[in-house]
Amino acid sequence: MTPTPDLAPASPEALPDSLRKPVGARKAVRPRHPYRAALSTARARTGLVLVGVVVLAGLLAPVLAGHGPTDQSGQSLAALGTPGHPLGTDDLGRDLLSRVLYGIRADLGIIAIAVPLGAALGCLFALAAAAHPVADTLVQRVFDLILAFPGLILALAVTAILGPGRLPVVLVIALAEIPAFGRLLRGGILVQREREYVTAARVGGSSGPRVLVRHILPNAADPLIVQIAVSLTVAVFIEGAMSFLGVGVRPPEPTLGSVLSQSMPYLDQAPHFAAGPLITVTALVLGLSLIAEALNRETRR
Amino acid sequence: MTELFPASPPLSPLPAGGPSRRTALRAAGGGSLLLGLGLAGCRSAVSEASSDPKKAAAGAAPKRGGVLSVAINADFTPALLFAQSGQSLQQRLIYNTLTRYDGDLTPKPELATSWTYAKDGRSITLNLRDDVTFHDGRAFTADDVIFAVKNLQNPVRAAQLRSTAAAVTGFEKRGDHELVLKLAHPVNNLFDLFEFMIITDEKTVEDAVTGKKLIGTGPFRLKKWSPGSGLTLTRNDRYWQPDRPYLDGVELRVIPQADALISSLRSGQSQLSFHVPGKSLGTVKSDPRLKITDYDTGAGAVYLGVNTTVAPLNDRAVRQALAWAIDRERLLAQTLGGYGIASAAPWPKSSPAFSEAHRTHYTHNPGKARELLRSAGHRKLELPLLHIALPGDTAIAESIQYDLKQIGVHVTLEPTDGAAAQKKLIAQQMPALWSMGHGFAQVQPSTLAVSAYPFNEAKNTSEYRSAAYTKVVREAWTKPESGVAGANTLHEKISGILLEEAFIIDLVVRGQVQVNADRLHGVTQNKFSYLNLDDAYLV
Amino acid sequence: MRSYLLRRLPSALLVLFAASFLIFAILRLVPGDPATSLAGPDASPATVAAIRDRLGLDAPLLSQYAHWIGSLLTGDLGPSYAIGGDVSDLIGDGLGATTELTLAALLFVILLGTAFGILGATSRSRWIRSAIRVTTTAALAAPPFVSGVLLVVLFAVVLGVLPPGGRVAFFDAPDLAAQYLLLPALCLALPSAAVLGRYLKDGIERALAEDCIRTATAAGIAPRRLLWRHALPGALPPVVTLLGMQTGHLLGGAVLVEAIFAWPGLGQLAEQGLQRRDYPVVQDLLLLLVAAFVVVQLLTDLVHAWLDPRIRWE
Repeated sequence: MTPTPDLAPASPEALPDSLRKPVGARKAVRPRHPYRAALSTARARTGLVLVGVVVLAGLLAPVLAGHGPTDQSGQSLAALGTPGHPLGTDDLGRDLLSRVLYGIRADLGIIAIAVPLGAALGCLFALAAAAHPVADTLVQRVFDLILAFPGLILALAVTAILGPGRLPVVLVIALAEIPAFGRLLRGGILVQREREYVTAARVGGSSGPRVLVRHILPNAADPLIVQIAVSLTVAVFIEGAMSFLGVGVRPPEPTLGSVLSQSMPYLDQAPHFAAGPLITVTALVLGLSLIAEALNRETRR
Repeated sequence: MTELFPASPPLSPLPAGGPSRRTALRAAGGGSLLLGLGLAGCRSAVSEASSDPKKAAAGAAPKRGGVLSVAINADFTPALLFAQSGQSLQQRLIYNTLTRYDGDLTPKPELATSWTYAKDGRSITLNLRDDVTFHDGRAFTADDVIFAVKNLQNPVRAAQLRSTAAAVTGFEKRGDHELVLKLAHPVNNLFDLFEFMIITDEKTVEDAVTGKKLIGTGPFRLKKWSPGSGLTLTRNDRYWQPDRPYLDGVELRVIPQADALISSLRSGQSQLSFHVPGKSLGTVKSDPRLKITDYDTGAGAVYLGVNTTVAPLNDRAVRQALAWAIDRERLLAQTLGGYGIASAAPWPKSSPAFSEAHRTHYTHNPGKARELLRSAGHRKLELPLLHIALPGDTAIAESIQYDLKQIGVHVTLEPTDGAAAQKKLIAQQMPALWSMGHGFAQVQPSTLAVSAYPFNEAKNTSEYRSAAYTKVVREAWTKPESGVAGANTLHEKISGILLEEAFIIDLVVRGQVQVNADRLHGVTQNKFSYLNLDDAYLV
Repeated sequence: MRSYLLRRLPSALLVLFAASFLIFAILRLVPGDPATSLAGPDASPATVAAIRDRLGLDAPLLSQYAHWIGSLLTGDLGPSYAIGGDVSDLIGDGLGATTELTLAALLFVILLGTAFGILGATSRSRWIRSAIRVTTTAALAAPPFVSGVLLVVLFAVVLGVLPPGGRVAFFDAPDLAAQYLLLPALCLALPSAAVLGRYLKDGIERALAEDCIRTATAAGIAPRRLLWRHALPGALPPVVTLLGMQTGHLLGGAVLVEAIFAWPGLGQLAEQGLQRRDYPVVQDLLLLLVAAFVVVQLLTDLVHAWLDPRIRWE
């Protein structure tokens, strides 16, 4: 048994939180469901607004953008507030507002596939681990292996093998999410299995799988909700990092990470180039982590 | 951060005469930062360079001493010591070549003092300097030249001029300092080889290609190579040119990131670089202590390669349509910062094959391009384009993609890392289109066709072959050096075929740009970008 | 203790073995090989064939794998294929640079994290407490490529007081080296410092809420003394474990931070090695990183087992 890794947070937000005073404690009537309580805190509301605005902007990109995201012109590096280009233009004269908006869309598209995929795979591993001690050892070593590999080097290799595009990005994100989900669920199952009500159900004659599905899983899966919010931020992070290393989605399609990385050589001459993607990425990631944090605090109570 | 670096008021008195707000900010920030580190009073890594511009301008006389620091963007690759690689600056610092070209490709003496061609062009007699020693004290003789040629004939050395070296089939020594090279057939780019070929010590050659020991006859000797960081060289006190070099030493410092490289030039930590990207030169230009020199020899060319086995690109008219579709001027301005010349032909201005008519053979004419496509029976095409997944190359590919879209050719980009792209290039596995760079247009025009693989008449990536091309290339290459008269017609013919057949569509001949501190003088380069610091000095 | 270690050892070795196999296989799957990358863009196929032959790339894969494992066991890593120099020297130099960066970042993590933790838990000023909450939230949320760009814009472009990237070796010029080190180390440290700060803050708050401390407060013992003598020591053990884990995170994060700030460490070496298909360099380096991870994890487990005897007998 390796207790530490099991308790180890996949990311900082999953850390066991303190016994600090809950934010929503003063309310007279406590909502029945902890998630609803969590989402009604000020912290979560801020997060929801931030994420909501960014997501909405991405979804409405075709309406809001005045230009195609890949339309070039001779007008390079136009400043903020140039007529027709509120965020200016990039080195090839493309409208930065359009690139940022479509960049959000591209990021959302990737995340929407990659995170559920990673979560599903992680949960499958965890179920396998719960089934048999030998499988458990193997699964744990697989998690170790994934965690031990420097992710970005793996990203470079995977992209070189598969060729450029969304597929390698999705795969690398999914792969990175597997151990977090897997360890959480596995840990949850182990804890719940020792609980009295489970023993009671088993003594009462329920079959193993039935106990697992009816009693253990619903309780063990609780922390996964928080982990999903955390994973979304990790996914934005990985997409950006891969773009920075030149192995992101196929150009000229913009992503938040790729627009930001393209602005790097121009930080001195045209710092505004970086402004749009910088603000958007920050808002998105900040919003997601606020939500994760709020959920975490409530569910841990 | 706030805990560590309190925003304290500037401690140092500001320079008199109304400092700008920016200077004040710098001083304030710098002061508090240094304070935070407990390093008050130390140098700043971004401070203004120490030299006073007036003083630098006044002291023009050459002066002994000083160590020059050169900023390079990629490290020396010892395995490529005998090949043309991205980083060739150290070649002429540690080693010498037999001859060197002047501006119009006339060879001048280096280790060879004089030479005579046989009348039939099938042999050449070289007279060599007799006062040259290697860094380990051994005297330089004709045997070292024989070894140098034989060494380049070995395919493992990856020397692009191997075909020319391989044309040397016999060696006849007449004493230690006279040598006759016998040729299988006349070649007109022998002096390209002499410009390219460094004279190395035979005994230590295996240590040289692993970077352990670099022994040559050049003005500087290797003190240390730290992979990833660069080379440290010290003065060769027994250099064959009296009183040279002026410098006590040279450092080649690897700084891969453009911003960091520029910052090292501006702070005076390095005094010379050839690797400031064109689009960043704007930043450098505003700095009065840095000098920009733009060479017209070119630093290679950006081209669009076409795989002629992919339909409908087997149709010459379609390839020509692509050549008309691209806005070379915009590409040059937006992706290369305007440094270079938009050109449909591969030649830089200094090449004997350069002509204005060829340079502007194709200009930006989407109407004509669409018309050519339509007459070939196409309205819309979908083609993949491979490019190297580095920021600069990606921008070029995106620019090409956009221009081609305007004539109905929809391109899917395939960013690929360098090694994979290389493999496809050599193995003739390129997709329909690719964009890359090529070299070898700055020397004898025939060298391009026999030494640069994309242009090779016998086997190239485009899989383009024609009897006419082969004939004219071989004729140009094997024409005896003495018969200059017919050369121009042959160059004309080569350019004509390249432009008409458009299997390699040249876009921009890139500029070779040198940025140096104004206190550095006397820097030159040879045609293969070997840095020559024999006469360089710092004031 | 020893028996616990012995029990954990086989699975650690299993991970290493599986990793070596994976690394080898992945590298061979990546198209292009060291020979093509060495030969250069204008090379002919004959040149590539000759280089392949010299590097032994035509040997059967199994014997190449055996050769690699053999080189690891004898400790003679041999020469690199494409970058030049000996693999051990390359890795040694990179390790030096990365260690320098990681240690500097660790220093920042401890300093900033402790400051965040103590101030956040004990400051009387609401304003300071919220400021710290906002700072830690932002530091946690911002990916290094965002905070890195912000740091470069602020300190290198707007203020112009620090270089945007690059490295000067520490022993050549410590004063300059420190300035080059500052931005990347800060960028690398921020998220971990925020984690540490929060964890410490929660630990202190929990300790202060315990009955004995309440009693002590009631008995009139000075709050400052309580903090340093009781609450802080109580909060420390899990923080030490956390620090161990965060060191792993720092090493992992170093790859990206090195790319942003052109810091010539192991991350850059791995990237360069992979780009040029320098098999020996990438193989040895990746396995080293996996081994480091395994060892750190083993040590963390050991510390935990030492702190909590129940685990040893489980």
